[in-house]
Amino acid sequence: MKSITSIIPFGLIGIFYLSIFVSCEEAALPINDDGTPLNVDTVSFPVINTMTYQTPPTMGGTEYLYFGEKDDYDYLYNLLEFDSLAIGGGYPFEYYNDSLIIADSMKLTLRFISDTIDINTQFQLRFFPQNGDSVFNEFETNYMNFDPSLASEVISQAEMVTDSIDSVNTKVTLNFLIDTTVINVFKDTTIINFNRSFLVELKDNVSSEFKFHSSELGGGDGPELKVYYRTLLSDTVVTDTSYRTYTALEDLSVIKPPLITSDDTTYLSIGTAKGLKSLVLVDMKGWVLPKRSVIKSAQLILNRVQADTITGFSVNSYPLTKEGLYSTFLSYEFDPYKVENNLMASSTIVNNMLKINHRRFSREIGRDGRNNYGFKLQSSSNNDPFTIINFYTLGNIDYYPVMRVIYVKP
Amino acid sequence: MLSLRVLLIINFSFTYAYTQSVFNSYGLGLNRTSYHTSVNGAGSIGLVPTFHPGVSMENVATWPGLNYTFISGSYSNQLFANEKRNVSNQAAGFSKIQFIIPILDRYGFGLSLKPLNNHNSFFTTDTSTIQYEGNNYTTNKEFRSGGGIMSGSFGFSFPINKNMGLGFSYNYLFGSSRDEQSMVINNTYYRLFNIRTYQGSTYKVDLGAKLFSNNKSSLLAFASIELTDKPVYGKLYQFDLFEDINNNYAFDANDYPGEVGVDTIGVNNIYAPSSFSLGFNISLKNSLNIFSEYQLWNDEANNINYASIYNDQVGSKNHIGVGLIRFGNQMERDWQDRITFRSGIYKDIYELRYSGKSIIENGLSLGFGFKFAATGNQIDLSFRNGSRYIDRSNKELFREFTVGISVGDVWFLRRRAKQ
Repeated sequence: MKSITSIIPFGLIGIFYLSIFVSCEEAALPINDDGTPLNVDTVSFPVINTMTYQTPPTMGGTEYLYFGEKDDYDYLYNLLEFDSLAIGGGYPFEYYNDSLIIADSMKLTLRFISDTIDINTQFQLRFFPQNGDSVFNEFETNYMNFDPSLASEVISQAEMVTDSIDSVNTKVTLNFLIDTTVINVFKDTTIINFNRSFLVELKDNVSSEFKFHSSELGGGDGPELKVYYRTLLSDTVVTDTSYRTYTALEDLSVIKPPLITSDDTTYLSIGTAKGLKSLVLVDMKGWVLPKRSVIKSAQLILNRVQADTITGFSVNSYPLTKEGLYSTFLSYEFDPYKVENNLMASSTIVNNMLKINHRRFSREIGRDGRNNYGFKLQSSSNNDPFTIINFYTLGNIDYYPVMRVIYVKP
Repeated sequence: MLSLRVLLIINFSFTYAYTQSVFNSYGLGLNRTSYHTSVNGAGSIGLVPTFHPGVSMENVATWPGLNYTFISGSYSNQLFANEKRNVSNQAAGFSKIQFIIPILDRYGFGLSLKPLNNHNSFFTTDTSTIQYEGNNYTTNKEFRSGGGIMSGSFGFSFPINKNMGLGFSYNYLFGSSRDEQSMVINNTYYRLFNIRTYQGSTYKVDLGAKLFSNNKSSLLAFASIELTDKPVYGKLYQFDLFEDINNNYAFDANDYPGEVGVDTIGVNNIYAPSSFSLGFNISLKNSLNIFSEYQLWNDEANNINYASIYNDQVGSKNHIGVGLIRFGNQMERDWQDRITFRSGIYKDIYELRYSGKSIIENGLSLGFGFKFAATGNQIDLSFRNGSRYIDRSNKELFREFTVGISVGDVWFLRRRAKQ
């Protein structure tokens, strides 16, 4: 009995100290700001150089494929490249070389943006049997660096037709039927990774605009290529007829822009279809971000010239990798300004003011001493490519461009 | 059964850590004056006897006066209230664990573990608005900190002559603390963290002496000198500020920037305490004791790189206190006569090293002790009430309730020869 009573107190003390390590949340004490660390600091950097330049327009990322002409823009032709595998995987074109599989025809379909046809016209299709594995690049090809004469003769012609989706809804499509001579080229295994590319154009010049869904249109019906085939049990017995669908990997409209206007050159201008881009150089020389600090925002601020309301127009800004040539307006055949894509910042115009937060790049300047060559501004691919935005330049005393940085320091 | 009930009450009543205070953010915070419940109850610094006639649990020189080996623990519940802001916080935690063995009424040996100080704080500043280029930014700050330095000690005591005893203790200091500082701009948090580790040691020499004694009264004197063996050193991990986009208090892949840098700095001379303490105790008839104590404490460390949330630290402290103790007698028939009663008042003046400001703390203490069982088991209760302030502003009211239990057993004691 004595041994039990001597153990109990020590056991109880053990339980007692187990309760020590439970903690609680407590209410914050309000204190005076005096003498406490952490402060907000601000700094404004002037924009010291700006320039607008033009390159041949590349329309690879746009949501529509354009045919015809509008507002002096000349839509020359459209280029399409299809996937090597069917939707759901498998079925490369070599699949149709099997002696028991016969590919009878192909159909290339484009979806028109409207459900009705106001004006119809003839379209024609060509392909590139002599161009190996690559014909064009969605983000580089333009009317100045691509030769459409590389394409074949016309392999199919079509007009838009109306299809019924159900008893109420319809859709308008452009369907090119392609015969076995083209299929034979596609499935020819002596050509490694054949380009599977087509050129679509109007048969005749038309002064109207026709817009079709591109593969970039969210929720849209991008270009499709269907291969219809039969599967044979033997040389004479057909067991099945079916088709496989191939979606577009790349598609773009090749267009020729109108002439440059005085607004394009007077202001900082951007616009995809006209190939307008701008450079902005901010003087951040000698700036050091205090140790352990974090940038809340480093906003490059530009004010729009046009007074009308614009919504959802997005501008991309990229740090340059080399010094820009800041002079009067220049046109280039190739864009000479490479950029840091991973440091891209983007923002939409709100109340005719653009504020692009370049804090990642500013941090590298302020902390790591990175060279600042300026920023390239260009329209986002989600915008209407034909919209041109003009921003005020250094000359305006009220709406001059500037960069404003807000940061927190210990 | 009594001890079981008390322990259950403690278990369910005190489930919080040390409570927070703005004063915990000056350097290493305010170091505690006392740790054991019996010492708290008298408002003492531990020099004069408070646990048992002739014995203080925090004065090593007095340990041979214990009749039994003791294992003892103290647990505190604190309530801190900011008078001006009408905010109060409450929390609890242990203040000391101790094991003491008296040997043959002449020697003593003991081990203890106690938190020397406390970094726990959580405060916010008022909201203000910054205007910059036509935009308004609403800002305020939040600060949190926690942790502190622990002391693991061993001590031994031995007699010099029949009226004087000496005690020596070695204290190994260790621990860590962290603080989180936030700037809130338009409801977005910008945070940084600092983490600190501590390691060092001090030693202390205690002296107890009976200066005068007759059958009516006696006069006891006590002195203590504490010096630093190895000034506390450690590592400081300084993390860069980041934008806590998902406001989850931790840096992760969703926050900005993509990575947060950390500087690891080895820092020496963080904490180097030295103190001199002097106390007198007059024992009167009926076990009545009157005492007074004085302590001069200094922190010789001056490494400003180890700064806390406030860029200042406590450089010195003066303590003065007086009190009254009536020890109970376990052999008395009436239970009231078995209770030890303690009371005291004290004043602490902390000097801040860099600003030269003073933190003044005034306190009043009250305590009871009750012995039970044959081996001198004792339950102590103490209550401390007071205030502390800087420049009469930011006045903080505090209340501390401490429970201690000391369980005795017979080890190494001289026993009577069998008749």
